[in-house]
Amino acid sequence: MPSTHDWINEPLAVVEGMFAASQNGQSSGWEAKAVEFFVEQLKEKEAQSLVPSLNDVPLHYLKPNSLVKFRCLIQDMFDPEFYMGVYETVDPSTKAKMLRCGKYKDVTESGVDLNSKSTVTAERQTFYCVPIPGENQWAKDGYAATTSNQGRAVPSTSYVPSRQKRSYEEDEEMEVQPQKQKETHAGSQSATEQHGNGDCKRQETEAPSSQAASASHLDLNFPLPGEKGPSCLVKVYEDWDSFKLNDTLEVYGVLSVSPALSALAEEKDAFLDPTESMETAEELRVHCPPASLVPRLHMLYGKRVAHNNPLLPHASLEESSAFFSSTLGEMAAVRAELLSYFTHVLLGDALAAEYLLLHLISTVYSRRDVLPLGKFTLNLSGCPTVSSYTELLYQIIQQLVPSSFYLAMSLQNMNQMRLVPKKDYVANRLVSGALQLARNTSLFLDETQLEQGQLDATGVRNVTALGNLISWQKVDYDFNYHQMEFPCNINVLVASEGRSLLPSDCHIHLQPQVAPPRMEEYLSSIHLHPQASSQLNKFRVFLGAARLLDYSISEEVTKAVEDDFVDMRKDDPQSISADDLHRLLVVARLLSLSLGQTSLSRDSWLRAKHIETLRRSRMEQHKSVNGNEP
Amino acid sequence: MARKDYAAEKEKCKRFLQEFYTEDDNGKKVFKYGAQLVALAHREQVSLFIELDDVAEEDPELVESVCENAKRYTDLFADAVHELLPEYKERDVVAKDSLDVYIEHRLMMEQRGRDPADTRNPRNQYPPELMRRFELYFKAPSTSKPKVVRDIRADSIGHLVAVRGIVTRATEVKPMMAVATYTCDQCGAETYQPIQSPSFMPLIMCPSQECVTNKSGGRLYLQTRGSKFVKFQELRIQEHSDQVPVGNIPRSMTVYARGENTRLAQPGDHVAITGIFLPLLRTGFSQAVQGLLSETYLEAHSITLMNKTEDDELDNEELTEEELRSITDEGFYDKLAGSIAPEIYGHEDVKKALLLLLVGGVQQAPKGMKIRGNINICLMGDPGVAKSQLLSYIDRLAPRSQYTTGRGSSGVGLTAAVMKDPLTGEMTLEGGALVLADLGVCCIDEFDKMADADRTAIHEVMEQQTISIAKAGIMTSLNARCSILAAANPAYGRYNPRKSIEQNIQLPAALLSRFDLLWLIQDKPDADADLRLAQHITYVHQHSRQPPTHFTPIDMKLMRRYIALCKKRQPVVPESLADYITAAYVEMRKEARVSKDTTFTSARTLLSILRLATALTRLRMMDTVEKEDVNEAMRLMEMSKDSLQADKSSTARTQRPADVIFSLVRELATEGAAGRGGSGGVVRMAEAEQRCVSRGFTPAQFQEALEEYEELNVWQINQARTRITFV
Repeated sequence: MPSTHDWINEPLAVVEGMFAASQNGQSSGWEAKAVEFFVEQLKEKEAQSLVPSLNDVPLHYLKPNSLVKFRCLIQDMFDPEFYMGVYETVDPSTKAKMLRCGKYKDVTESGVDLNSKSTVTAERQTFYCVPIPGENQWAKDGYAATTSNQGRAVPSTSYVPSRQKRSYEEDEEMEVQPQKQKETHAGSQSATEQHGNGDCKRQETEAPSSQAASASHLDLNFPLPGEKGPSCLVKVYEDWDSFKLNDTLEVYGVLSVSPALSALAEEKDAFLDPTESMETAEELRVHCPPASLVPRLHMLYGKRVAHNNPLLPHASLEESSAFFSSTLGEMAAVRAELLSYFTHVLLGDALAAEYLLLHLISTVYSRRDVLPLGKFTLNLSGCPTVSSYTELLYQIIQQLVPSSFYLAMSLQNMNQMRLVPKKDYVANRLVSGALQLARNTSLFLDETQLEQGQLDATGVRNVTALGNLISWQKVDYDFNYHQMEFPCNINVLVASEGRSLLPSDCHIHLQPQVAPPRMEEYLSSIHLHPQASSQLNKFRVFLGAARLLDYSISEEVTKAVEDDFVDMRKDDPQSISADDLHRLLVVARLLSLSLGQTSLSRDSWLRAKHIETLRRSRMEQHKSVNGNEP
Repeated sequence: MARKDYAAEKEKCKRFLQEFYTEDDNGKKVFKYGAQLVALAHREQVSLFIELDDVAEEDPELVESVCENAKRYTDLFADAVHELLPEYKERDVVAKDSLDVYIEHRLMMEQRGRDPADTRNPRNQYPPELMRRFELYFKAPSTSKPKVVRDIRADSIGHLVAVRGIVTRATEVKPMMAVATYTCDQCGAETYQPIQSPSFMPLIMCPSQECVTNKSGGRLYLQTRGSKFVKFQELRIQEHSDQVPVGNIPRSMTVYARGENTRLAQPGDHVAITGIFLPLLRTGFSQAVQGLLSETYLEAHSITLMNKTEDDELDNEELTEEELRSITDEGFYDKLAGSIAPEIYGHEDVKKALLLLLVGGVQQAPKGMKIRGNINICLMGDPGVAKSQLLSYIDRLAPRSQYTTGRGSSGVGLTAAVMKDPLTGEMTLEGGALVLADLGVCCIDEFDKMADADRTAIHEVMEQQTISIAKAGIMTSLNARCSILAAANPAYGRYNPRKSIEQNIQLPAALLSRFDLLWLIQDKPDADADLRLAQHITYVHQHSRQPPTHFTPIDMKLMRRYIALCKKRQPVVPESLADYITAAYVEMRKEARVSKDTTFTSARTLLSILRLATALTRLRMMDTVEKEDVNEAMRLMEMSKDSLQADKSSTARTQRPADVIFSLVRELATEGAAGRGGSGGVVRMAEAEQRCVSRGFTPAQFQEALEEYEELNVWQINQARTRITFV
């Protein structure tokens, strides 16, 4: 058996070894065994942290053909590829034939016998993956902290001398011209491949390489504007039907950055006329981008992750029950602290703070036909218009949730932004849009930015898309000839002055209790308030954990709820409709969970009813004041 | 595995082509392929389709081999045809193009210069591809189901497969070289090079005997006129959206179309393609670069265009006995109705009406007059009573439908707009929602919020089922044979039963009368219903799934197919029912005059009843309308009227059905007394029952009431139960 580190540095050797063994021993099922071996190795906690992560280690520090991990979102699925699963090589000198395994690699040694009879054609699926959109810095740092120490030590030491210098250089360049940075990556990559020693790199970097040129017009297709990070072509060998678009994955796989891959693309571009290749030049550029920019990752082991909060255990609920039982006890206390913090932020409005808290732990837990259950879109109206209150509010939320996105609903944004992903048939790919988000991402819609003016066709479509997202938790991706519905699970918070033009599950008007004369100072004082990071971490764990808890309603309480509803209808049929009951049940659920209770109690039900009544009476009140509400 | 004897296989193909025949009505043998071969020989036909169904009749084994090794068998069949053609030639053929002349010359040359001793260099023979002027294609056996792009895996390589999809890209049609012909500059010999792959390496040195022995080093030059080109087009198809599993991106596939198969499809078309799934052969350098990957494509053999409705008709055939039985068992009417929007609780009658809308009545066109068969329904109601959900469900269920909201569409958007084509500058008509929903359903939400001017555009559609256009020099009439399903909110937020419908929804009577059924869905407090609603909602939240119902809703696809099947029926109203219907209508008119009705009862109502009744008959898959159908149709009409007269019914409804039936019968008795001059107090049973049933009571209720009042000694019923006598 290979030594401990071998399987990280030389995963292909392990696979080859198993393949060779199976050829001799005629034992079947070596593929399953190989995968099992890696899964076994990764079971241990330390082993996982030993594997360097593509998320935090720059690509050129990673050793090609080594095992790496990548936390990502499936942005697009390409058509399946046919490759040679088993092929035969002929040694030119000895004419000895040898069977080789074609799995987990892109490039072969020379001397492949293409007409050999023993060639086995197999199929694999390619996913285009991007880092989780809108992942907040603290979550990234959190993950980096768990792996980087060991992970960074793994790459071969020949890079070490120049490392310090390189990163400095990059930082500098990044500020001046982000595009240039890509060039550096591309250049240095080819340099390391070809020469492997530090001295030649410099010249290589400065000489404008053709790769860099092609890189400059390559759109990496991130859902959100201004995102950075590596995107990756993940090749999946088994069970690809279980993965879905927009799934968040943690992939362990063999990194492949061979320059031959990019050469392949370029040769085709240069030599072959368009009639010969079935793909257009555009399509090729998208499907075979330079490996230095978009590395290939051959998946050995991948799993879907339920959240991307580094402070929570990733294992399944049963295994981490110890963790949950310890947090459950604290939840009520943490909740109280968080509530007072939010009350402070929301200018002393305790009720709004309560709703904000419920909103942040909401998630679509199930779908019944088309109706998503558990969604809880909050419309916070009456936001002070002064001095970017909403932006500061977003910054506070950003500190608490693992991924979030701030969308200013300005007229320009609505008319120009691409919210809905669209299929581009020329390049044969799915062009991403801002609504292609991972589950449980917080989407903050700032309606205070909306000014008077005309929405054009795109604008109307975008607003419709937002409305659909809120009411049905789905986005209709545009496939030109038809639309395809993709369910999603996004927490939408709408901040507005009056009632929002978008629908919402729950609308609450902010009633500031304090009127600080200088809003900006007041808020920045909260924001900068040395919320000890341990305190923040507690909040983060609370919000993450509440979402993952199981929840049930006992028969007894169900009966009581039903009777309650009938009684309420009897008194005043206009007071409560079916929709209201839906909402009440969701509020009750979230309230119980936030208190760490995993089943609905009579008290929680009453409390939910109470705060709903408070909220409704506030709406009535507001209505009578304003008079222009519908 | 022993190698197949392909020569023997070829003989089989030959035999099949020569001997296959079908018998026509007179028992005469029709040689299906023989006739085509004659046409081919005279260059009157280009493509020959071999239907594998026919082959299966003769030799099922051969079909299997063809499906598995389609490329090889295409060649075998082509060879067979080629060898047979001279036999079928009946007269001389006039050369059609230069290649014909060229071939003729070559053949003549060969015959003239034929020296029995001279064995021709096999490499320099005329390649069969050059001499063939026909194309040979297979048509997949009808037993094989079209596959989804997703299901075509590595194991189908080389097989004949049938796929369905939507064309997303189609290249220009280009000539592609099939055989390159060269002449030598030294000896004048001709050399041929058949080309299989997308690229080829041109030959340079002359391989002829003369040049080789003399070592003259003759150079070869390509002759365009002597080469053979085929039409070539590349398509890309993508899966239909309904074939994609949830959360996946549709897959696509490249298709090569040659010869007669080109120019058949355009981007956006739905197609079914039969073809051979092949790996792409690359030569030379690109083969080396390609590494471990191989690209694949589908070599098209037949491309069939289909639109969405045809697509559904294809499915119809597959409705099995079992499925039919599962639908048409006990209480199928309730079951079908309940399967419409099962997530919406209650509203059984509305759902029944919607079901009938989907099925539609029979259209009548006696002597140029056209009476529409489509049923129009308008749903009104308080906000938040799931009107929109019902609409969007119907939109999803109907095979062809358009969904618009009144506020979002103008009259032009509904009917048709004249557009200037940006490329040619011509004026073109662009169909609106109603035109696009032809033969389908057009759902219009927020009907009341439409501008009056736009709404008038609908009048014509709702009765005449056409749209007449006279703008920008274009005068035409477009078909818009669609059912309209509209939803409207009451004008004052809530429906005011004390006002008339026009006042309530502010729609003109002319428009309202065009709706066959008007439903008012009200949010009425009712402890019982509330409890059931609460149970329903809490159950969903508790178990996060649909509560168990006494039936499982019928699958949407199955329903769609069943409805399509129902639509094929053309039931008629039998003579015997005419009197009954007229009597009922006269009764309704009288009723309308007497009571201060807020709705209309006009000739249109009679037509509506007929439409509903025929729709019901269609639903039962019968060909004649029965009395029950008419009764149910009238019951629905009555219920829809009842729903509008909410207030009146709330007082009247407190009466038990028995009481109402009693008053009805007594009314009948007094009428009879007046009519027949005082022999009063006696009512014929059948008459009474008819009256009650037409008012929405079931025969069972009627019987119950009879017995109840008999016990009270209010009336007496004679032994034969034919007459009711008031005491």
